[in-house]
Amino acid sequence: MFVKDKQPTQVCVNSHTCFSFKNEENLLIAMEKQNIDVHFHCREGFCGACRTKLVSGEIEYIIDPLAFIDDDEVLVCCCIPKSDVELKTY
Amino acid sequence: MKYTTFNQQPVDTMQEHMFFGKPVNVARYDQQRHPIFEKLIEKQISFFWRPEEVDVSKDRVDFLKLTDAEKHIFSSNLKYQTLLDSVQGRSPNIAFLPIISLPELETWVETWSFFETIHSRSYTHILRNLFNDPSAVFDDIVVNEEIKKRATDISKYYDDLIFYTQLYQTRGEGVYDVDGYTHEVSIRNLKKKLFLCMNSVNALEAIRFYVSFACTFAFAERELMEGNSKIIRLIARDENIHLTSTQHILNLWAKGKDDPEMAEISKELEQEAKDIFMLAVQQEKEWASYLFKDGSMLGLNEEILCQYVEYIANQRMAAIGLGQPYESKSNPLPWMNNYLSSDNVQVAPQETEISSYLVGQIDSEVGSEDFEEFEL
Ligand code: FES
Ligand SMILES: [Fe+2]
Ligand SMILES: [Fe+2]
Repeated sequence: MFVKDKQPTQVCVNSHTCFSFKNEENLLIAMEKQNIDVHFHCREGFCGACRTKLVSGEIEYIIDPLAFIDDDEVLVCCCIPKSDVELKTY
Repeated sequence: MKYTTFNQQPVDTMQEHMFFGKPVNVARYDQQRHPIFEKLIEKQISFFWRPEEVDVSKDRVDFLKLTDAEKHIFSSNLKYQTLLDSVQGRSPNIAFLPIISLPELETWVETWSFFETIHSRSYTHILRNLFNDPSAVFDDIVVNEEIKKRATDISKYYDDLIFYTQLYQTRGEGVYDVDGYTHEVSIRNLKKKLFLCMNSVNALEAIRFYVSFACTFAFAERELMEGNSKIIRLIARDENIHLTSTQHILNLWAKGKDDPEMAEISKELEQEAKDIFMLAVQQEKEWASYLFKDGSMLGLNEEILCQYVEYIANQRMAAIGLGQPYESKSNPLPWMNNYLSSDNVQVAPQETEISSYLVGQIDSEVGSEDFEEFEL
């Protein structure tokens, strides 16, 4: 299989911390690596503690999110970015 | 409308609301108005555990080493949790099942309550190990003033909804005098009582356990009462999923994704909902001060515990659109998260050394690597 080289996905948080996503298991881990303070409990998509606003871009869930989220929110513990994303933590 | 255990009229549940529609008949899940509840059922069942699987025998030695102030903290928390799970083991069934109109929600409530009964059984498991006769601890729950204060606020919304549902299902809408009190029974009024009750349950699942969880995990940080802490971790994981379910219900209403009348009521009673939550926060703080009345414990004091309650409350109030009324924006007890995350994802470091940790579960989890040396 031929995989096209592509630009690393950019993640911007709270409009000041920007970094490239290095295929971490999920966005929460990637954000923690940057020392961004994100709330979490379950790390498995069912408690809702990691609710984060998705300002722009697209994400993909790797675990079915069960916790309640609003239409413009994502659970960072169980998703990865699909495009460059802009996030806002609570 | 009289309750029936099997409504003989055909019902299209896709057209029903969560509550106060036609009674359910066939327990079917092939079509679902709100599929989230079936997902919660599956997740909750995947968490199944038995108290007996957790070895608590070492705790007895630890308990004897605790100071009197610490013993008070430990056993008072167990009493309070016992009260909470006693209520939760029965009330969602009795209050909600007679008025639910969706099979997936009905089964969720039954699953939820069942897990609360596991929690109740686990307290007996813990206490039997600590005391030759745990009856003094249990007996105190109904006479202890501090616990009774909370019991009233926890059960009153349930009791009110249950009583009005009984009047409605036996006599229909109308005004009734019962034992010297007048009760105005209308669907609107019932829906309001349901809304308040759901908010009170939501607050219970959201914060009422957390002072006690924090104390348990603070003992565990000192490698004390670890058997108990393992059980509480399993309980905390379940409570998180219960909370998710009440948050879904409240948000489905508020966002007009279920019964439009419930959307109206959510607006109309927003302040009451907020008050219910904030009273629970207040009571938890008072509980913290009762716990520490004879002295605090290493790693925790009343002030930091109160900050933690506010921090948790902010997040959980925001999740149901009630804003963030408290100061605490950052987590004053970051180590708590290690105990609140799901086992397989992250295990608190000290626990990796404990061989008795969830013996039954670990033994039954046979991974492919275990077979690597086998040749067929
Ligand atoms: S940490 Fe629980 S949903 Fe993300
Ligand atoms: Fe419980
Ligand atoms: Fe619960």
